[in-house]
Amino acid sequence: MKSPFRPDVVPDKSVLDDHRPLIRSLERRGLIRGGLSLGSLVMLTGCDVKRPEAVEAALLAFSRLNDGVQALLFDPNKLAPTYPASMILRPPKFNAYYDVMDVKPVNAETWRLELSGLIADKRAWTLSQLQALPQTSMVIKHICVEGWSYIGGWTGIQFRTFLEHVGADLRAKYVAFKTADDYPSSIDMATALHPQTLLALQYGGETLADPFGFPVRLRMSTKLGYKNPKWVTAIEVTNTYPGGFWEEKGFPWFAGL
Amino acid sequence: MVRRPMKRSTLPGILLACCMLTATIGDAGAQSATPGGMPPPQGMSLAASTAMRFPQPVRVGDLLGRDVLRPVESQDILGHIRRVVRDQNGEILIVVDFGGFFGFGSRPIAVPADAMVVLGADTEIVAFTPDQLRQFPTFSPTGTTNVTDDTIIKMGLAKPSH
Amino acid sequence: MDQVKDKPIAAPPPIATPGRRLHPLPIRVMHWINAATMLVMITSGWGIYDDDVIIRGFHFSSFWRLGDWAAWSLNWHFAGMWFLVINGLAYLIYGFVTGRFREKLLPIRFKDLVNTIVETLHFKIAHDDLTVYNAVQKLLYIIVIFAGIAQVVTGLAIWKPVQFSGLVSLLGGFQTARVLHFLGMAIIVGFLIVHVALALLVPRTLWAMLSGGPRLARNSQSNQAHPAQGHTI
Repeated sequence: MKSPFRPDVVPDKSVLDDHRPLIRSLERRGLIRGGLSLGSLVMLTGCDVKRPEAVEAALLAFSRLNDGVQALLFDPNKLAPTYPASMILRPPKFNAYYDVMDVKPVNAETWRLELSGLIADKRAWTLSQLQALPQTSMVIKHICVEGWSYIGGWTGIQFRTFLEHVGADLRAKYVAFKTADDYPSSIDMATALHPQTLLALQYGGETLADPFGFPVRLRMSTKLGYKNPKWVTAIEVTNTYPGGFWEEKGFPWFAGL
Repeated sequence: MVRRPMKRSTLPGILLACCMLTATIGDAGAQSATPGGMPPPQGMSLAASTAMRFPQPVRVGDLLGRDVLRPVESQDILGHIRRVVRDQNGEILIVVDFGGFFGFGSRPIAVPADAMVVLGADTEIVAFTPDQLRQFPTFSPTGTTNVTDDTIIKMGLAKPSH
Repeated sequence: MDQVKDKPIAAPPPIATPGRRLHPLPIRVMHWINAATMLVMITSGWGIYDDDVIIRGFHFSSFWRLGDWAAWSLNWHFAGMWFLVINGLAYLIYGFVTGRFREKLLPIRFKDLVNTIVETLHFKIAHDDLTVYNAVQKLLYIIVIFAGIAQVVTGLAIWKPVQFSGLVSLLGGFQTARVLHFLGMAIIVGFLIVHVALALLVPRTLWAMLSGGPRLARNSQSNQAHPAQGHTI
C-alpha cells in the first residue's frame, strides 16, 4: 500500500530537511493525504481562512484564563488515586508527535542531565548518580489529552527532593525541560513540588525501555500525558514562561488533572 | 379547540432525516491511515518492520480477548484475539475472530504477530488492509501448537490512531 | 343547542390583557445565548471525541467538527463552557425565582403524558395556545435541563479527575465519566433535533421566542383547567 507520506511529486529534499519540524507536525495531524487539503495548504502559508486571528486570539485568552483557574483549583496536598501493582499495563501505551520508528535511543554512557537557571549546584548528573538517590514508586493513572488512559507504575526520584538537593529556588514560577527528541515542556513550580511528581527511571519495576523515555522521564500524577517529557536532557528553573511543544500549537499549558 | 392534523408524511420524514443525519455525520469509509500504525514500507519483511517498532515483551495471556483495531481515526474493531499459536516454522501467529457483526458471523484467521502492534490495552493490524484480511483462509489448528498464557512474546509498538 | 351538547367545550382564547408575555426578554436572551453556546459545545465536543473515539468504528467527519483539529476543538470547548455555565446558572436562578419553572413545567400528570403521546402518534398536534405546554413538552424540557446539568458535572469530572477524584469515583471511573458525558450529549442532540424540527413546523413558536409571543392570561394557572392543551415541541 502506498504511503500517504510519499506524494506523487516529491519536493526537493533540502526543502523537506529545512521544514522537518513543521512537516512532522503536519504529519501528526494526518493532513498530508493523497492531495493537500485546503486546511493544510493554508497552514503551510501561515494563515488559516477557517480560523481568523481575532477568534484565535480570543480562544487563547480563554485558555490562559483557564490556566489561572486551574492553578487555583490545584491542591498541592491532594494525591491522585493509586492502584495495586497487579494493574500495571505492560507494556505501557506509546505516544509521541511521531511514530515509534523515529524514537532515537539515548546512549546512557554519554547522557548527562544538564541543569541551568535558578539552581545553586548546576553540575550535570550521570545516570548512576541519579540511580544512587533514594527512589520511590507509584502506581497511578496516566490520562492523555486524547481521552485514553491506563494504569502505570513508575519508580524514580521525588522531584521535590531532587530540586532541594541541587539548591533550586523553590519560589520560582516554572520548571522547564529539554529532551532528546526536541520536545520542550514546562510546568508550574507548585506541581513540580507535588509528592507524586517523579524523575522516573523505571517502569513496572524495570529500567525504562527506549520508547518510554530511557534513561529519565518526568512523571506526574496531576497533569495530562503530554506534559510529561521523555528522554529528559536538561532542567531549568526560571521565572520566564518557557512554553512547550504542544503549547506552541495551541494546546493549554497548565493541563492539570 | 381546533386541532390541525400534521401531514402524515412529516413525522416519518423527520425520522428519515435523523437516520440520514447520523449516517452522514460519521464516514468510517472515507479515511486515510493515520500517522500512527503505518504499514511496512514496500519490500520490507514483517519481521524487519516489527524490529523498527521497538518490540516490547508482552504476556500472551494478557492479549487474549483484546480488541484488534484498524489503524484509522474511527478505530474500527476488526475482531478480537482468540488465542496465540506457533506454526511449524516457529512463527508466532495471532488467531483473530475476524469480521462479523458484533461477534456474529466472525471467523478465525491467523495473523502473524509481526503484522500487528500493541497500543496500550489494544492491538492493531498494520500490515494488512481489511480487504486483504478478508482473503485470509479460515484458521485451522492443524500443524500449530498453542502458546501458553505465561509465555512472553515481543510485539512492535505504534502511536495511537486519530 | 344540540351543537353545545355534542361538541367538547372549547378553551377560552388567551385574554389579551397587557400582561406578561410567554417569553419575557431575559428568557429570550438566555435561550439564544444557550442555543449558540450549545452548538459550540456539541460540535467542539465532537472534535475532541474524534481524538480517541468512544464508540469504536464511529467518528464525526470534519464537516461536523468545530476546531480544525484537537487543540482548537479543546480551546472552543473550554471557552464555551464559561458561557454555558454562567448563562445556564442565570437561567436556573431566573426560572426558580420568578416561578416560571413551577408555572410552565409542573405539574406533570402521567395521564396527560400518555394522552399527549397518543395524540402525537395520531399526528394531532394542537397549535392554538402557545402559552401552555403539554405534558410531553414539560417532560422533555425538564429532561434537557437535567441533561445540561449532567454535562457540566461529567465535564468537570473529565476535566479534573484528580482534583475532583471523589466525583469521578461516584460516576464509576474516568472512562465511565467520558461515556456518560457522551450519552448526555446524545440526549441533548436528540432533544435539539425534535425541538428545532417542531419549531420550524410551527413557526409561531419560533417567532414567539424572538418577539415574546402571546401575552399570558391574567390567571395564568391555565394548565390546571386544560391539562391536555398546548402544542408539542
